[in-house]
Amino acid sequence: MGTESIIRAENINKKFKSKTVLEDVSFEVRRGEFLSLLGPSGCGKTTILRMLIGIEKPSSGKIYKNDVDITEAAPRDRNIGIVFQNYSLFPNMDVYHNISYALQSRKLDKDEIDKKVREIIETVGLEEHIYKKPKQLSGGQQQRVAIARTLVLNPDIILFDEPMSALDAEIKVVLRQQLKDIQKKLKITMIYVTHDQEEAFALSDRIMVINDMRIAQLDTPYNIYHNPADAFVKRFVVDHLDMKVKSIEDSIQ
Amino acid sequence: MKKRMIQIGSILKHEYLRCITVGCIILFAILPLLTLAFHVTGEDWAHLAKNKSFWHSITNSLIYTGASAIITTALALIAAYLLNTASLKKKNVFVILLTLGMLVPTISVGLGLRILFGKNGFLDLLLGWEIEVRGFPGLIMGSVMTSFPATFLILYDALHYEDKGPYDAASIMGVPRISTFFKLTIPYLKIALISAFCACFTLIFSDYGMPMEIAGKVKTLPMYLYDQFMSSFQYGRGSIAGFVLLIPAIISFVFDVIFKDQSVNEKQKRLIKADKGFNRIAIAVIIVLCAILFLPQLAFISLSLTKSFPNDLSFSLEHIANIFSNTHGVGLSQYIQNSLLLACLTALVGTCFAYLLGYLSVRKSGRMAKAVDLLALSTIAIPGLVLGIGFIFLFKGTNGTFYGTILILIVVNIFHFLGSPYLLAKNCLSKINSDYEVIGETLGIGKGGIIRKVLIPNSASTLIEMFSYFFLNSMITISAVAFLCTYDNQPLSILITTYEKNSNYEMQSVISLIILVLNVGARVIFSIIANALKKADNKETEGGIGLSRYEFDFLTYLEKNGKGQYSQRKLADDLTITLSNTTKLIRDLADKDYINETVNGEIEISEKGLKMLEPYRVRKAIILAAGFGQRLAPVTLDTPKPLVKINGVRILDTLLDALYAKDITNITIVRGYKKEQFDQLLEKYPTLRFIDNPEFNLANNISSAMCAIDLIDRCYICEADLYISNPDIINKYEFQSNYLGAKVSETDDWSFKKRNGYAVNYQMGGTDCYQAFGISYWNGEDAEKLKEDLKKTYNNRGGKENLWEMVPLKICKKNYKLEIRKCHKSDILEIDNFIELIAADQSYSKYPGYKGFFVN
Repeated sequence: MGTESIIRAENINKKFKSKTVLEDVSFEVRRGEFLSLLGPSGCGKTTILRMLIGIEKPSSGKIYKNDVDITEAAPRDRNIGIVFQNYSLFPNMDVYHNISYALQSRKLDKDEIDKKVREIIETVGLEEHIYKKPKQLSGGQQQRVAIARTLVLNPDIILFDEPMSALDAEIKVVLRQQLKDIQKKLKITMIYVTHDQEEAFALSDRIMVINDMRIAQLDTPYNIYHNPADAFVKRFVVDHLDMKVKSIEDSIQ
Repeated sequence: MKKRMIQIGSILKHEYLRCITVGCIILFAILPLLTLAFHVTGEDWAHLAKNKSFWHSITNSLIYTGASAIITTALALIAAYLLNTASLKKKNVFVILLTLGMLVPTISVGLGLRILFGKNGFLDLLLGWEIEVRGFPGLIMGSVMTSFPATFLILYDALHYEDKGPYDAASIMGVPRISTFFKLTIPYLKIALISAFCACFTLIFSDYGMPMEIAGKVKTLPMYLYDQFMSSFQYGRGSIAGFVLLIPAIISFVFDVIFKDQSVNEKQKRLIKADKGFNRIAIAVIIVLCAILFLPQLAFISLSLTKSFPNDLSFSLEHIANIFSNTHGVGLSQYIQNSLLLACLTALVGTCFAYLLGYLSVRKSGRMAKAVDLLALSTIAIPGLVLGIGFIFLFKGTNGTFYGTILILIVVNIFHFLGSPYLLAKNCLSKINSDYEVIGETLGIGKGGIIRKVLIPNSASTLIEMFSYFFLNSMITISAVAFLCTYDNQPLSILITTYEKNSNYEMQSVISLIILVLNVGARVIFSIIANALKKADNKETEGGIGLSRYEFDFLTYLEKNGKGQYSQRKLADDLTITLSNTTKLIRDLADKDYINETVNGEIEISEKGLKMLEPYRVRKAIILAAGFGQRLAPVTLDTPKPLVKINGVRILDTLLDALYAKDITNITIVRGYKKEQFDQLLEKYPTLRFIDNPEFNLANNISSAMCAIDLIDRCYICEADLYISNPDIINKYEFQSNYLGAKVSETDDWSFKKRNGYAVNYQMGGTDCYQAFGISYWNGEDAEKLKEDLKKTYNNRGGKENLWEMVPLKICKKNYKLEIRKCHKSDILEIDNFIELIAADQSYSKYPGYKGFFVN
């Protein structure tokens, strides 16, 4: 991971009708890093994500990717993939076709598509499940399909919209590891939206704590924990983690 | 500004389409109503205010509608509750029987009642009971029968989606059923009951087909309206009557819009099944209800099959035979064609349109989405009768191009029936994940692609349901179409009204019967298609032969251990899965009816569960027993190793007993060395079959496998010299291909390591690995591969020198994923040399020649 930036957002404001959701937000995302957007629900983190992907436009401000202004670009021209909370796999297609569908609709050469899809399937380790439908897959496998589906288009960045919030605690831990492994393997930039402090700390190179329409702090987990920028960060992140640790300690003593 | 432009550009297409569809609804549903208003003059109001027959018709309508709606709702509630609560196998059959009335025009129900009761009716002729049903008794009876199916379905659906968890809790607490009915069911159903009552009321209030036959001297509001339009030509007064007709529909519509609870939560099915006594009562009540509801149909069916009603009641097919002949002046085939064409086109276009509306109102937000939704829903409130007259006023001018053609009939039907299919489409589409369009955009797949490849395939069954709704209703409707059809293009249902006028019972009955038969046929075809789709879907999602690993493990566990009380903790421990998964699993399997649960908490595998296991059943076993067993010499000089006795038991018997214990009796033994000695086994195991391997001393055991190659399919392949101390290492069912292995710290025998649950690194000796035991299972798919690969290897140069298991585990290992099936080292006693034999059975220390052999 270098310090070179891949995304630069400058002075983003977003209003829905008269309601302000984001106020003068600026940040950079570094190439190859795993960045979490952490904040309570309704703080604007999902709005940032939706603006990065291009299904929402800022009311003012600019977003650059590799120094190119993409503020107005259509989602398909941004080369950014997204994995949703429930993965949103196409339920009627098997693993192979979920992944190949995007390529097919681009009218690429058949053999080329096949080669590419199989390659990706191998990368995410789904060879045995290639002809299974999403319903037959476990949560972890579905996540891998969802990632593979975006990977097949060689995205520069993958965004995750609270992908684990609906899962059991046990599975979460496994999926986190899996996600981390894939990221390490592919060295791809990942931006991860979550309201779960533990998750953000377990996964991220850097965390962007968002509160009340603004970025409260953007730093490494270590710095956030040891030097919280304001009272909110201290309460929302540091105290929460401390409490969690304490409650576990209490119960096993 | 530029920003806005782009945004507008991306949604323009949707808004454009929305405007068009909104325009369509306004033109074909709202405008017709408005034109009615233009025909009303002040004089009409003044006239009606004093007109006694108008006010009479309103009071009449209110009286019989109110009475029947209450009765219908009560009956429907009872039926829905009983059917939902009882644990019956074929509930759907009863649902179909109870809603059979939906397949015939309401006028036919009236007809049925008339020829059943009354002077010269069946009851009069057969039993001498003459009952005057015309008037209020007939109206109420008929209304209950015609409105029952729709009302029942509303309540049945509502109950179906109720969370049944509280009922289980209540019965565990010992709360009597009747109390749960009043304390849980009724409060839960409150809104559904009012909604059902409103729907029922509207249905009865605006129906004029059934009253036509049975009202007698009682004039109802729809009949008043009909008269004003068709005989008095007082359009203004008729229009006012039309608006009165709208009132209950609007009230009902407003109620539904305000209170409709559209969130259907994940429901929990009942785990505790109803007791037998309750089931019996429920079945009896439902059957009686079905029979009563079927009476009118029975009446007109019987009449169609009698020679000359009411004079000669003998059986005759004359009327049926006359359907297609013109000799009596009426060829019905033209009208059958009219009906079918109208129904098919209405269904086809209507389904597409309603689906489009659903898509536009749910799949993308926008200012017009709400408008589409509200307008589409509002069509529910317009009675067909009112819509029909509206169409006359609005489109009279287009005579020949639209008015007077089949086109107007299709359009009026579509907008008359639009509400329900639209709701179906909307519900279905709103349940499909809303992120697909976004995913599509980021993947560069257009909206069209998502609609075609994702949305439509995932709403196939809803589309069929919508098509079916349009079709069946077009077949039976008379309200709107009656005003708009011509003599040539009138459908069958309208023809009944023509014959009603001259009291021709035979023709009315025959036509009613034809409609019933056509609709039953259509319904059967629709459900066959729907079932086929469902089956295909199940097959795909259940993957090959059907069960998930957890389900398999759980079911085989139950199959093995039988009916009993299992605590979830014990199940979780025995199956080595988490407690939360165990709970989930039990609920899932109970939902699928793979397991039965009794009131006192016992679980057992169900018939269906056994059926689901069947594909996994081990079909046979192949035992490779041709070798010499050199290392056990000198014993093996006289006896083949498998037949050597340890403590009085032949080694092979331990395997054969284990197989027999699990009902695996199709066993083939490949023998070679001292093959005739194996015949003695037949005495104890009569189902054994033998194949002789003549090459046993020239080639390795791959030659034995080759001898039995055609038999390899869903089978165990076993070595013959394993002394089995735990027969449970043989299973009745196997989930996938596997190889038996025991975890060991070190071994000098053949071993493999485990990666992702599968066997890798097959080698001689090893540490921290699995010691391989020569028992493996091959499912159908892998068996095919194995046959191929065995043949190939065997025919290669030097191929005969191989051990057979080298093929799947080493030579062609890429082709296989062999799970390691875990056992304990102590489950199998390995006797690899004479010393080990003596260790197992002391008597061999005195074996003749042993000493000399040993020194050697």
